[in-house]
Amino acid sequence: MNRLVLRNMLRLKPLACLCATFATVFALSACGSSGGSGGGGSAGSPDTGTDTLTFAAFNTFSGPNATFGPEQLAGCGPAAQAIVAAGGVLDHKTAVCNPEDSRGDPADAVPAAQQVIATSGHLVGVLGPGSDEAPATIPLFNRSHIPMFSDAGQGLFDKSTFKYFWRILPADDAVGYAMALYAHQQGYTRVASVFGTSIGAQGSAPTVAAGFKKLGGTITTAQLLALDQSSYRSEVAQMAAAKPQAIFIELDPQTAATYLSEVQQLYHQVPIIGTDGTTQPPWLKAVAGAIGKTTVQKFYVGAQPYAPTTGPAHKLWLTQLHGATSGVAKPVSQWENDSYSEAAWDATNIIALAMELSKSTNPIVYNTYITKVTSPGHVIVHDFAQGKAAILAGKAITYVGTTGPITFDQYQNSPGSFEINKSDASTVKTYSAADLQSAK
Amino acid sequence: MSQAVVLYATTLLVYAGVDIMACWGLNLQFGVTGIYNFAFIIFQAAGAYTTGVLTLGPDTANGGFQHYIFGSTWPFPLPILMGGVVAGVLSLLIGLVTLRRLRSDYQAMVMLVLAVIATLVAENLATFVNGDSGLALIPQPLSNQITSVTGYQWWFVAFTAFACLVVYFFVRRITSAPLGRALRAVRDHEYAAAALGKNVASLRLFSFVAGGVIAGISGGILVSFITAWSPGSWLYVETLVLLTAVIVGGMGNNFGVMLGAMLVPVAFNEITRYLPQFGRPGLIDAFQWIVIGSLSMGFLWFRPQGIVPERRRKYKPPAELGVGATGAVGPGAGGPEPATVPDGRL
Amino acid sequence: MFHLVFASTLVESVGFGLVTASILAIAAVGFTLQFGVSNMLNLAYGDIMTAAAFGAYEVNKAGAPLWVSFIAGMATGAVTSVLLHRYIYRPFVRRGTQLVGLVIVALSAAVIIQNALLAGFGATFFTLKLPHTSTVHVAGATLTVLQLVIIGIAVAAMLAVDAMLRRTRLGKAMRATSGNPALARACGINTNRVVDTAWLIAGGLCGLAGVLLVLNTASFESTTGSDFLVITIAAAMLGGVGQAYGAMIGAVVLGVVTEVAAAYTRSSFKEVIAFAVLVIIVLIRPQGMFGQPVTALTMNKEVVN
Repeated sequence: MNRLVLRNMLRLKPLACLCATFATVFALSACGSSGGSGGGGSAGSPDTGTDTLTFAAFNTFSGPNATFGPEQLAGCGPAAQAIVAAGGVLDHKTAVCNPEDSRGDPADAVPAAQQVIATSGHLVGVLGPGSDEAPATIPLFNRSHIPMFSDAGQGLFDKSTFKYFWRILPADDAVGYAMALYAHQQGYTRVASVFGTSIGAQGSAPTVAAGFKKLGGTITTAQLLALDQSSYRSEVAQMAAAKPQAIFIELDPQTAATYLSEVQQLYHQVPIIGTDGTTQPPWLKAVAGAIGKTTVQKFYVGAQPYAPTTGPAHKLWLTQLHGATSGVAKPVSQWENDSYSEAAWDATNIIALAMELSKSTNPIVYNTYITKVTSPGHVIVHDFAQGKAAILAGKAITYVGTTGPITFDQYQNSPGSFEINKSDASTVKTYSAADLQSAK
Repeated sequence: MSQAVVLYATTLLVYAGVDIMACWGLNLQFGVTGIYNFAFIIFQAAGAYTTGVLTLGPDTANGGFQHYIFGSTWPFPLPILMGGVVAGVLSLLIGLVTLRRLRSDYQAMVMLVLAVIATLVAENLATFVNGDSGLALIPQPLSNQITSVTGYQWWFVAFTAFACLVVYFFVRRITSAPLGRALRAVRDHEYAAAALGKNVASLRLFSFVAGGVIAGISGGILVSFITAWSPGSWLYVETLVLLTAVIVGGMGNNFGVMLGAMLVPVAFNEITRYLPQFGRPGLIDAFQWIVIGSLSMGFLWFRPQGIVPERRRKYKPPAELGVGATGAVGPGAGGPEPATVPDGRL
Repeated sequence: MFHLVFASTLVESVGFGLVTASILAIAAVGFTLQFGVSNMLNLAYGDIMTAAAFGAYEVNKAGAPLWVSFIAGMATGAVTSVLLHRYIYRPFVRRGTQLVGLVIVALSAAVIIQNALLAGFGATFFTLKLPHTSTVHVAGATLTVLQLVIIGIAVAAMLAVDAMLRRTRLGKAMRATSGNPALARACGINTNRVVDTAWLIAGGLCGLAGVLLVLNTASFESTTGSDFLVITIAAAMLGGVGQAYGAMIGAVVLGVVTEVAAAYTRSSFKEVIAFAVLVIIVLIRPQGMFGQPVTALTMNKEVVN
């Protein structure tokens, strides 16, 4: 090609700018990383003894799922404050839980996660990531050796090989079996299945149908709804035409409110059996607004991870929740029986106890102690203060938190038992993992 | 710099590179040719999904948790290139149907509705590209060969930079050639261009497809880096973010667009993360979005022509015509005055 | 027997579609009026609907009866729209910002409004308190009294808009300004005031649509209105942007199509089918059903306020 064309092609400004940017950052990091942390590299700066321990509630705080982040924070924040009140972990007297918005989708969450890792000071644990951002960000926290206690529900992680990924909540598919079993035990033989096209529903809808069929029931109509429409009357009419005795449901709060109010108008109120996505305060608030609080109390049950509402752990949780000075979205009472918040509280305690037991705040060391503080057969403790006292007295501990005993399988999942709760959190039935086998 | 900071910085560099490529493609369609492509993001998504399914393998493998069409494992960099091809084919099909003489606002809104349709189809057809969950755990290219964590990041930055260079040469070749002048003529004075014998429809289609291919490649590179992709990452609003980048930077010229791509999708998003926490949880995150919206509006107000406006192109008329500055005609009637062509309107 | 079932499902879903169409019609007419006088694609329209819903909610929470909440919602919509137009859109237009720049400004305004609502009211769900309604059977369709009221309000609003456009001086001035602003000014019409009033009225319609929407969905949050934006735009485009009567017809078409599609095909595709109908119609008839045909003069129609 002739020189004129070549000269035109090589207009220098954008090229120079690009090259300069890449070169500068490369040079800076080459200078820095040779003197920085070597080897596998731990998260952030190495243990400098007394700096503040930082937990990150990494979840969605904005957009349509803006309620998920505050849910995690409502568990993690009070736990962090209680850790401080108990004297901190090892020599670290201060601990905080920071809200970090992932902005709700993989492409936005990746830089957010990297920023959290880079600028959080002494990051010791992540509460999250949630379903929206988990696939993209779990590998990132894992390679930076940051333990995560995730609320992501994808069945994809049932057999996870990520060493720093922990889950003490059941995956979406397990919930379906609990719902099917309950419906069967209630004597229903014809139930409609109404799910949205969301991530959680993708996991639970197939297992509800499969489980219920295995137990001898019939799914009268299986609907997959587009979310947040202004009306679902035609769909409700379709469902009503098959005359179901009850409805299996997972929809986001607004869609559920719209759909259920139309069921009331076009059919009649039937028993509603929801997934654990429906046991959350925003869902109950939206649906109660639509069909009335007494109706919800009378007709609705939700399957959620077993979290006893009595017992010493729950009392400690409630005390710390109400005693928290900041970080808990009001009204505080909405989180009292929110299994996600309770799981976040337990997770924070477990991480802190793992640090205490391993005598290190380096995640590479204490990550392996997470199973040690939860394995059965030792002194039972219900919060961080009790656990710390026992450890300092030289004892091995078994942490049994407000979500009950925790047994991690080889994939670091602890699905636990289920309970079927009414909207006032009173438990109607509980199912262990063995019980659910009949539906699988 | 600690490893974590290096990971953060290299992530931003890759994002900047991907956004720069995407904005160059969008600039080719919108800035240079004047096509109101409000559906741009679906071509990036098509490239990303293609690259994903061609790297993940058949959907029955790995436990069968994801459901998608046509899974396979092609060697790097074929999935990314194929992403560009699929995006190109998609833009050809869409372009053939929609690039008629619609009013600019209609064209914009039809494209926007197409983007919404695409999102709805992807979300609701669960076996197409795994619905709302999307694709996950996509293996990164050459991750088995390069085992150092920071080393891999830098390799990927270099690869993105290389792809940027290739796209840059391609775009530059078009815009500085007579083809570029023809495209700008189509943008500025469509009827005059047609009167001069330019095939407006095929010029538009060429620009549309070229921009689509670039979008697909940028999507393929992004998904190879972040290993996951779902409908939440490509809502129709994202096209408007990229358009803001193109306009804030200075549409029609590649350097300005590059600056815009580094500023709007990257810098605006990152700077707002550092706003101090206050009030109840979630309050600051709402404020971050308010700041992002205000920054966009502010840039459009204070610098509407863009940071680097399109250059007015000067063309020297042939000497023998001897048209002087005063309009006097005749040989030697004053030196030839460069004629200026107006820059593209916003 | 099958035909009876088929027909009754059709009648039923058409009935349902009319409720959706009612809300959509009010929204689309407001949107198209704003576009007609200002050539402005107001992407913040959906979020103003949400703001109006919150306005109605606050009044409703304080114990006021439902119709007062309606007025509050309409007022919120009207005021927000006028302020937005006067202090944000019009200054940008005066500077010569053109279509895409204005769209970006509108989108930025939308983001700001939505997140201001999120910041102010929090990340939870809200409901307007309703008196308990009963259902009636009308011509084969089962509707609640509230839904009939919604249809009634929509019809009344459409008649009012029609009367305003055709019989009042303001309406004639609006039509003149939409068609040819320079000529309207030359005829002595105070186009600035006409445009402001048009935005006020359209904003009121926007607010009314917002309140009716959240009554219909029975629950709402800060993102509810923006979910309704694209179908509103679709209805306005279907009828021909700037054409109020077209928007009404477009709304009826799309509202009925979504419900009928849900009844006969998979529910998750109801919106896709409606949008596909729109795209097909626009491709056949680029100006929408009632819009002005595309000519060299109407191409790149500029805003000259």
